[in-house]
Amino acid sequence: MNDIIFYAIVIAVKILVVLGVTLGLGAYLTWYERKFAGHLQVRRGPTVVGPFGLLQPLADGIKLMTKAPILPRGIDTTLYYLAIMMALIPAVMLFAVVPFGPSFKFMGHEIKPIVADLNIAILYVFAMGSMAAYGTLFAGWASNSKYAFIGSLRKAALIVSYEVVLGFAALSVILLAGSMNVFDIVNAQIRSGIWYIVYQPVSFILFLFCMLAESGRVPFDIQEAEAELVTGYNVEYGGMKFGIFPLAEWYLNTLGLCVIASVLYLGGWSGPHIFGSFSGYIWLLAKSFGLLFFVIWVHWTLPRYQAKDVVEFAWKYLLPISIVNLVFTAFLVYFKV
Amino acid sequence: MIKTKKLKRSDKLGLLEAFLFLDFVKGLSITMRNLLRKPITTQYPKEKITPPKRFRGKHGHFVYDGEEPPSLKAIQGFMSFEKAKSRCVACYMCQTACPMPTLFRIEAVQMPDGTKKVVRFDMNLLNCLFCGLCVDACPVECLTMSDIHEMSVYRRSDAVLNMDEMEYIGATNAKAVRDLPDRIWRDDKERETLWGKIKWNF
Ligand code: SF4
Ligand code: SF4
Repeated sequence: MNDIIFYAIVIAVKILVVLGVTLGLGAYLTWYERKFAGHLQVRRGPTVVGPFGLLQPLADGIKLMTKAPILPRGIDTTLYYLAIMMALIPAVMLFAVVPFGPSFKFMGHEIKPIVADLNIAILYVFAMGSMAAYGTLFAGWASNSKYAFIGSLRKAALIVSYEVVLGFAALSVILLAGSMNVFDIVNAQIRSGIWYIVYQPVSFILFLFCMLAESGRVPFDIQEAEAELVTGYNVEYGGMKFGIFPLAEWYLNTLGLCVIASVLYLGGWSGPHIFGSFSGYIWLLAKSFGLLFFVIWVHWTLPRYQAKDVVEFAWKYLLPISIVNLVFTAFLVYFKV
Repeated sequence: MIKTKKLKRSDKLGLLEAFLFLDFVKGLSITMRNLLRKPITTQYPKEKITPPKRFRGKHGHFVYDGEEPPSLKAIQGFMSFEKAKSRCVACYMCQTACPMPTLFRIEAVQMPDGTKKVVRFDMNLLNCLFCGLCVDACPVECLTMSDIHEMSVYRRSDAVLNMDEMEYIGATNAKAVRDLPDRIWRDDKERETLWGKIKWNF
């Protein structure tokens, strides 16, 4: 009985910590990105609110919340509001299977710093990624605006191109590790002493492509293409209703996928024990933020593809490459080379 | 001389380029180099750059102070000028040259001794496009432009420039700008800190 209460409390604490950390981090990633983007373009980024503009997310939040709520005419109200939830909830739910470090002992129990230690964690990540796409689709459909609609149609084209490749890319790692559980995957890498990026460089690059596509980052941000679609699928949303979309897609989703990518390919929390008992957490954080750095760096460098090019590229090149890679890996694993 | 680098590129990517994402890497390296550079932002309300000498800002009137050009000396007997007041002769040349003539409101009266006195010279700057044609047209070097460029106002009526203000600008900002050496930037040192060194070819 005591055990049940203990685990209930642990789970509640985990959920609160994950929610607080991810939402807070998501807000601060806006600051990080703006600062970084500014310096990439020889600007300064936010400097006015607080030291180094550190209170900018707070100011943004206040600004977004105090905006006049405007509902465009002819919208599908249910879907209009549902779209916000469909965008935010999968992005937050993704963090249920995102580990934050190695397991540790606390009061005689082994505690894993992850909300739900599923044995199908990677499958769950894909599922949440696909769910998040509905937010975009609904937003475009419900807004009764051609820009938003074109944006969401483009997202639909994007989904059909990256989803399959994403699955095949991650599958080769799962084959190597023999499990879909994030802890097993990391432990397999720690045991063999080699990160899977060494075995699977092709799959890593494919995964990066799909990650950029899934989180709507350049060069695959065709659904929000500012230059031609105003801001795409979320153009008819205002105030905090609008703020949710970039928060969910650009920040939470990207962050979650970056952690997953570093778990899959970069050995998760493996690394030399130079920070004492915290080194696992610090390594995972460093790897994820390194990937995030790369994603934002790419975002502020490259131009974007056209929708038809993405589909063509994904189905003609990426998919065959990923299948060949997968079959090759399967052979290697089967014959235990 | 600006050096232009000519690059030859084929339409298709080479095999090596395609596999190693060389064009991606090139783009990324450019942004990374920018990241390491010092930002060139001027943080506007806190720091302001000095406009160049030839900057066309708010208009001013040069005043009657003994530095007049010969064209004015010839007719100053017919004008009733006061010291440190506008040296405008109300010839309407500026209005004629202006692409938007209605923005001027110039009035002059005849004094009891037969001389001419300008009593009103208003310019509605909301209609002005700061082309500087009026300055070129002025035969007595009265109308001029200063380096003042912060001209936002709360009411439309405040955007109308009257003679008193123009005299003040003429005696202060415009005079300071006029006496500078003819360079594109007023202060080469300051410009260099912002935009790097310019080589003058004379
Ligand atoms: S600057 Fe050009 S538009 Fe303005 S008053 Fe002079 S001539 Fe007219
Ligand atoms: S051209 Fe010069 S002198 Fe003539 S009215 Fe205009 S400002 Fe006065």
